[in-house]
Formats: sequence, C-alpha cells, structure tokens
Amino acid sequence: MLTINNLVKHRGNQEILSGISFKARPGRVTGFLGPNGAGKSSTLRILLGLDRATSGSALINGKPFAELHNPLATVGAALDGFGAHRMRTGRAHLRWIARAAGLSNSRVEEVLEIVGLTNAAGKRVGKYSLGMGRRLGMAAALLGDPKILILDEPVNGLDPEGIRWIRTFLRERAQSGNTVLLSSHLMGELAETVDDVVIIKHGTIVADGTLEEVIGNHSTLEEAFFTLTSEIAGAVV
Amino acid sequence: MRAFNAELSKLFSLPGIWLAFLIGAIAPAVIAALDSIAEKEEIIAGVSTRLSEVGYIGLVLGVQGVIILGVLAVSSEYLTESSESGGGQQITTSLTVVSSRLHFLLAKAGAVTVISILLCIVAIMTTVSATHLVLGEYAPAFEWQRLIGAICYWTFTALLALGITLLTKNGIIPLAVLMINSSVVSFSVLLYRVTKLAVYLPDRAGAEMFMFTSDTFTGSLFVRYNTPFTGGLVMLAWVVVIFIAAAIVFHRRDVAA
Repeated sequence: MLTINNLVKHRGNQEILSGISFKARPGRVTGFLGPNGAGKSSTLRILLGLDRATSGSALINGKPFAELHNPLATVGAALDGFGAHRMRTGRAHLRWIARAAGLSNSRVEEVLEIVGLTNAAGKRVGKYSLGMGRRLGMAAALLGDPKILILDEPVNGLDPEGIRWIRTFLRERAQSGNTVLLSSHLMGELAETVDDVVIIKHGTIVADGTLEEVIGNHSTLEEAFFTLTSEIAGAVV
Repeated sequence: MRAFNAELSKLFSLPGIWLAFLIGAIAPAVIAALDSIAEKEEIIAGVSTRLSEVGYIGLVLGVQGVIILGVLAVSSEYLTESSESGGGQQITTSLTVVSSRLHFLLAKAGAVTVISILLCIVAIMTTVSATHLVLGEYAPAFEWQRLIGAICYWTFTALLALGITLLTKNGIIPLAVLMINSSVVSFSVLLYRVTKLAVYLPDRAGAEMFMFTSDTFTGSLFVRYNTPFTGGLVMLAWVVVIFIAAAIVFHRRDVAA
C-alpha cells in the first residue's frame, strides 16, 4: 500500500505539489496520469526518498522510504532513464544492485530472462536502445521480487511488443496481490492496464477513482483526461 | 556490509578504474626508476643530497591513481545519460537500493579506502623493486614508518577527492585541480612563499608523513615543518571536515536538484 498524504513540494519559489493525497492499493494497478510537468515524477521521487517533501508524507506500507530495512525486497522502482552507468554492462549493473540487496548472481540471470535481456546482458548500457534500457530498469526493479512496483513512464520508448509485454506483466503482478503504481502521460496505452486512476495537473489532483468512475460520462479515458486537465485552461481562453 | 560489497562491485566494473590502477601501480615505479637513474652516479659517489627522497618521489606522483579513484567513485553516480535515453543518473538507482544516505556514503568511502590501501601497497612493492633494480646495493633502505605514511597519504587524498566531488557532483573540476596540484604546480608550495600557514594545507601537511626527513636539504621549500604524526593529523582533519560538509550537503540535497 502506498499512501500520499497532503504532500507539498516547493522548489525555489515554485510550488510543484500543492497538497496532494491519494493511495495505491494492493492487487490494483494505479495509473498516475498528468501532462508533462504536472508533478508526477516529483511525487514518485519523494515517495522513494530521493527528494524531500516541503510538508506532508509519502509512505510505503505505512513507513517513509528511509525506514525500510531492505528496500529492494519491499519496493522496486524504475524512474526516468536507465539509471545505469553507460560504461557498465547490463549484467554488471544488475550484479551490483544484487550485492546491495544480498541477492545471488543467479537471481540476476532470472530477471534478465524475465525482461528478455539475456542476449544483450554482456553489452555496455551505452549501446542499449531506449526499449532495452527500459527493460534493464524493469529488471532492476524486479530483482528483490518486491510486493510494490513504482514505475515512471514505463511504456515510454517501448515498441508495440514491449508495451504489450509490460501491460500483461503488470496485470499479472497486480492479480497476484501486488501493488503497482505507474505514471504516464500516454492515455491510450494505459486504459487497458490500470484499475484505478489518479489525474494530476499543476500539482493538484483533479480526479481520483476507479477507471470507470474517472471515465464517467466520457467515451474514453483519453476524453476524460483532456476534459479534466483542460478545464481551467479552457476557462481562461 | 552489503552496501560496501555493492560499492566494490560498482568500482571494479567501471572501465575508468583500470586507468586508476594502472597509474597507481606502475607510475610510481617508473618515476622512481628514472629518478634513480638520474641520481645514480651521485649516490654511488656518496654526494647525493636527495638520497632520502629517492623512490618516495614516485609515490608522491602516483597518488594521481587514487585521485582518479576517489573522483570516479562519485562522478560515475552523477554522470547524466543521453537525453534520448531519458537523462537518468545512476544515483537514483543507488539511493533506491540503499535507503540510508549515510550508509551509502560510508560504504562508498569504505570501498575507496580499501582499494587505496591495496593500491598503495602494490605501488610500494613496484617502487621498491624498481629502485633496487636500478641502484642495487646503493638503494636506500625504505623505512616502514615512512611507507605507512605514504599509505595514509594516498588514502586521505582519495577520500578528499571523493568528498570534493560529492560537493561538486561533477568530476571534471576536482580531477583537474587535484591532478594539477599533485603533479605540475602544487598550490600549497606556491602559497608557502606567501605565508608559512600553507604548511597546514592538506597535501603539504600530508606529505610530511613520508616526504620530508630531518636531513632533507632541498632549499627552503621542503623543510620539515611538522612531525610526520602531526602532518598526518592535520591532513586527517581536512578529510574529516570535508567529509562532514559533503555528507550534510548530500543528505539534504534532492536528487532532482
């Protein structure tokens, strides 16, 4: 369970998040949607202890990230980019992460197999395509077999096959009782994957509910998203 | 301990580290050999004024290897990926794997310390062998106190490089400044001409641990000022201060900032 409670983030004199609250529940895929710059990545970074909140809390199973004992076994995360040094091979990257969590090298081979990177594992990360890099990020997130996954724009840059793979994979994770929180600005790709939807705009939550609730009277999620996120802009114009 | 293993694994899988090993292990021996060849006649004639420095001069310059090590250990975390791959940094992965930043930092410093000590021991072995090879029976006896001083000097320098890079988040400036300082122009030696307080700068104070002996005679610049022990303490104090400053900044800093 992920609990975001009245989270506020200021950077300089800019307000990135103005007191947002929502939950991501076990057994559900929660889609965290919003236009670029709405505050999605900032929220995820605070949740993972990478950035500090100005006020409010972001808890993982009721605890802040910094209090988790073996974070990799609790929460797997894949944020922007590959999160790997370009001169290292994919396998070497996963191996140091495995060391940090006390996992064996055979677990590294397992996750390479899961994400379909076994053949490219000996290549330097700098030579990876965007899709391969995202798969590497997923492999790192899965290493500790965590009950919670936090993914920032997981389908960005993936080819249709990759998108399909990630959809099926995340659905399976949720069905076996895991919590999945993913952010995206791509609506079409997500409608078939998520159970719950949280929509953020300018650091404020504008919709929060099940997929059906958020779609409401609109024909598609995309329709609902544009109506919800362009209301204020529409009023100004 | 796991975080420490991870840091060792990170360092050994980084190709740039092998340059650090190469410079650290080989350069001191080469320099010591060249210096011994140049001084050989005077040493044999018994008129050399630099007998106490022979060999050690290589260890002073070989410290560049651990400068690369200390800088790279941190700068590799902050190296930004290409924009088409999303512009990520390894530090995000590192900090989502180890939840305590202090543990992360101590693990990194620990890994750099261990590698520096081992590298310096290798450098001492190659340097002593090279000196003996060139000078034979005229080779000066290496005192173990001075050799331990050299190991401390290397380790403290590596930790200074690590701390400074943590503050700058970028390897280029610390690498350039520290390498020039330890090879081409030593700022503390220049400053010494202006104020005697320069002997308390970390590199000058640290060098007292093994470079200057009471019978050093090379003009006013290299006159012994502190005892090896005091010199070492002064350098250690610099390491502690810079490390604490870096830890505080690192603890407070947003990864996205």
